[in-house]
Amino acid sequence: MDQLPNLGREQEMLEIMGLKSMDDLFSDIPKKIRSKGPLPLPGPQSEEEIIRDANKLLGANVDLDCRPSFLSAGLARNFVPSMVPMIATRGEFLTSYTPYQPEVSQGMLQAMWEFQTMISELVELPISNVSMYDASTSAAEAITCAVRVKSKKVEKPNTVFVSELVPPHRMSVIQNYTQGVGIEIIKLPHGEDGLLDLEKASSASGSCAVYVEQPNSFGILDEGLMRLREIVGEKTAIIVGVDVTTLGLVEPPGNWGADIVVGEGQPFGIGPTAGGPIYGIFACTKDFLRLMPGRIVGQSIDTSGKTAYTLTLSTREQHIRRHRATSNICSNETLIALMGAMHMALLGPVGLEKLSTRILASTVRTMNQISSIEGVELAFPNSPVFREFAIRIPGKSEDALSHMDKLGVTAGFDLGNWWKDKSSWILVGCDERTSELDIKALKDALKSWVEESR
Amino acid sequence: MTGTIFDFNGSKEAGWSQPDPITEDYSESIPPQLRRSKLPEWPRASEPELVRHYTQLSQKNFGIDTGFYPLGSCTMKHNPRLNERIVQHPGIDRIHPLQPESQVQGLLAIYYEMQEMLAICSGMDAVTLQPVAGAQGEFTAIRCIQEYHKERGEGHRDKVIVPDSAHGTNPASASMCGYQIIEIPSAHDGRIDLDALRSAVGDDTAAMMITNPSTLGVFEPEIAEATEIVHNAGGQMYYDGANFNAILGKTDPGRMGFDAVHYNLHKTFSQPHGGGGPGSGPIGVKEHLSKFLPSPIVGRREATEDEVGVADGYWYNWVTPESTIGKVQQWNGNAGAVVRSWAFYRRYGRELETMSEHAVLNANYLRHVMMNPDPNLQIHAMPVEGCPADVVKHEFTLSMSPLKDTNGVTGKDIAKRLLDYGYMAPTLYFPQIVPECLMFEPTETESKEVLDKFAQDFHSILAEDPEIVLSSPHTTPVGRVDEVWAARNLILRYNKSQDLS
Repeated sequence: MDQLPNLGREQEMLEIMGLKSMDDLFSDIPKKIRSKGPLPLPGPQSEEEIIRDANKLLGANVDLDCRPSFLSAGLARNFVPSMVPMIATRGEFLTSYTPYQPEVSQGMLQAMWEFQTMISELVELPISNVSMYDASTSAAEAITCAVRVKSKKVEKPNTVFVSELVPPHRMSVIQNYTQGVGIEIIKLPHGEDGLLDLEKASSASGSCAVYVEQPNSFGILDEGLMRLREIVGEKTAIIVGVDVTTLGLVEPPGNWGADIVVGEGQPFGIGPTAGGPIYGIFACTKDFLRLMPGRIVGQSIDTSGKTAYTLTLSTREQHIRRHRATSNICSNETLIALMGAMHMALLGPVGLEKLSTRILASTVRTMNQISSIEGVELAFPNSPVFREFAIRIPGKSEDALSHMDKLGVTAGFDLGNWWKDKSSWILVGCDERTSELDIKALKDALKSWVEESR
Repeated sequence: MTGTIFDFNGSKEAGWSQPDPITEDYSESIPPQLRRSKLPEWPRASEPELVRHYTQLSQKNFGIDTGFYPLGSCTMKHNPRLNERIVQHPGIDRIHPLQPESQVQGLLAIYYEMQEMLAICSGMDAVTLQPVAGAQGEFTAIRCIQEYHKERGEGHRDKVIVPDSAHGTNPASASMCGYQIIEIPSAHDGRIDLDALRSAVGDDTAAMMITNPSTLGVFEPEIAEATEIVHNAGGQMYYDGANFNAILGKTDPGRMGFDAVHYNLHKTFSQPHGGGGPGSGPIGVKEHLSKFLPSPIVGRREATEDEVGVADGYWYNWVTPESTIGKVQQWNGNAGAVVRSWAFYRRYGRELETMSEHAVLNANYLRHVMMNPDPNLQIHAMPVEGCPADVVKHEFTLSMSPLKDTNGVTGKDIAKRLLDYGYMAPTLYFPQIVPECLMFEPTETESKEVLDKFAQDFHSILAEDPEIVLSSPHTTPVGRVDEVWAARNLILRYNKSQDLS
């Protein structure tokens, strides 16, 4: 209630308008649909009381940083520089809306133009928008975008081939975004080694697009993807979902033929935040520019010829094109993209390479330690991995994870939740912050479960 | 002028420091073919340089904190800083959405409380917090309606009706689900034309999407009749909650007859707009649609003795609705926005009704003082209203047509001149049914003094030499920006932009 400057001045204002009571302001709502009595909710609280309750509730959660944690599966237990939340939440950024009035929004517009450039450089594609909701909606809208661009030019219109290892929650988002507009999704198989079956991938030739991920759901970096262009031909769009933190070490898809690159931006800018707000990146070649989703900032000039920035190509968007828009997206994740830009700028190219190296080193170290436990096997011992790797254990992952949880270790993700036949698989996620002590704790916990379950 | 961030090109040593890798034992693990050949051309800058760069950028950005932000339909209310403090808690910031239920009881309890509160305020039976923006909420609800029709063997219903005054996201969201859009004209006063609606519905009607109060800020008195027409034809009624701030505790979409609704937590519940996002767009539905909601939603049961949880006697758990449409966002929505909105809701509790009263009080007051200028002031042409209503709800429109006819000053010119006076411009040229439309929404968090001063300044602008208004803004960081130039030249990134043309 302390957010109302005119509390206690209602009569004064009503009288000026020639009205008698607050009820007069709602006289236009027909009686038959008026609420009866007050809202059945508790009374208002002060800031002090809310903080007390918030600390109690949020304090009951077990956060990733308070114990050894190896849970990743698409989000990163990252470290965000202190500057990022402090500067990004300056009121001028935090409390502004979409920059429809560029003359008083140059700050956010320029910051987003710089963000576009950094994403463009990261993935080696010329165009980036100012963010999508997350990696999954970004992938889904990349697919619908590719179909719009390609459908009239290929032998198999409205057909898109998607890697079968795309995790089920992302497949579900893709299904929801594509089912109504008549897009057929066909799965691309992977081999026993977890790598994309390149022979079978040639069936995607003549379709609108292929969607693959690098690394894939098991953390595998698949060198074969770099041959996709020769396999599917020039006409089919190649869409690649990336872990952005690989790109300090791994060749960006823009350099091996990708038309659209999407991915989860979260590792740059914000903690995992229980799954949101995070942000999806969306970058593409100029062939897709006019049919892509999302907001785009362009450089321009003002009346005196001075450099200025503004939203551009808005005629793609819902507020102008309505049902013919390229997407319904309006609110996006700008503030989180701003945090991402700050984080990327602080890292710089050298810092990015070091970050990638740290994550890779943690992954290799953890993998070597865990795979030495008797009874524990790497699911894909011969494939290079980044951030994550899958193990097979002698028993139910669910039981093992629960056992290790009781020992104070969050040991990874039960892949049986994604694929029923993998209920004895665990996806172990590492990051730049994984320490030797964390690895030892994981190793001891897993070992104790293996021994106990014998 | 602030340079770009790419002007920073310092030494390799000057960047932000990180610990060294945990081992050197990784060098062979990436095949040479896969190795990145050239690092991205990101800036090389130190923290002192970057803090100043972004601070200077922020100073060229206008937010609610900077000044009055009467942007209609966007509900730019004050964003309490308590919300920002709470989301820094590791119990939200450092939480992974795949953690077991036992590790996130506090978060689930907050989700549950929010689901319940939103259901109560809207007269719905079930709520999901997963959609992350208003438009995604629309999309999600229309997907649920689509599956509902399919299950009943009525999958042939392929049309969604929207009024011509609807937000652009309505037709865009329905279109993404594969629906054809039937746009019906509004009546001359901006309200629903029931005859037009009657002739638009049929056995191909899947749903109607409408906001109430309308985008003109006017409550639709015949909303119950409209819902009846659509229901009789077998269609579902969808409530666009963009204007929900006007009606809490006074009426609700359930009473009006709606089957589904989305809420904009970034409008009604003070999640900051952040320059364009993040938002949060939960949806509520009536019982018959609840089994189609995205998964998971939060349920609860009585806790057993060894289940401590948040010590309220309940154990909270994820529930998958029986015939769920699956996922619309990868995880469980914008949890950070939900927690902020929870903190906001707790400030009001049942007094959310008072919040809506003050939003409506302020809108009507501002309209009154804007429409009644000082008689001594020489005004070229007073604006007329977009709609002849006695009272408006949370926002209202003014048409600048008389002024344009008198001296050529357009709505856009007035909007730009307001920037010089230290205000954000109102929403411009929306809804499109009002010529030279300006739409104002003051929200409940502005004082009477701010509203009085704004009206006074607005009148001063109307009385100004048109040349000054036509060439405005004059005091902003840049002058009027050439949007056509931007679209023609497409400089969408630093440096390499020439390749694009």
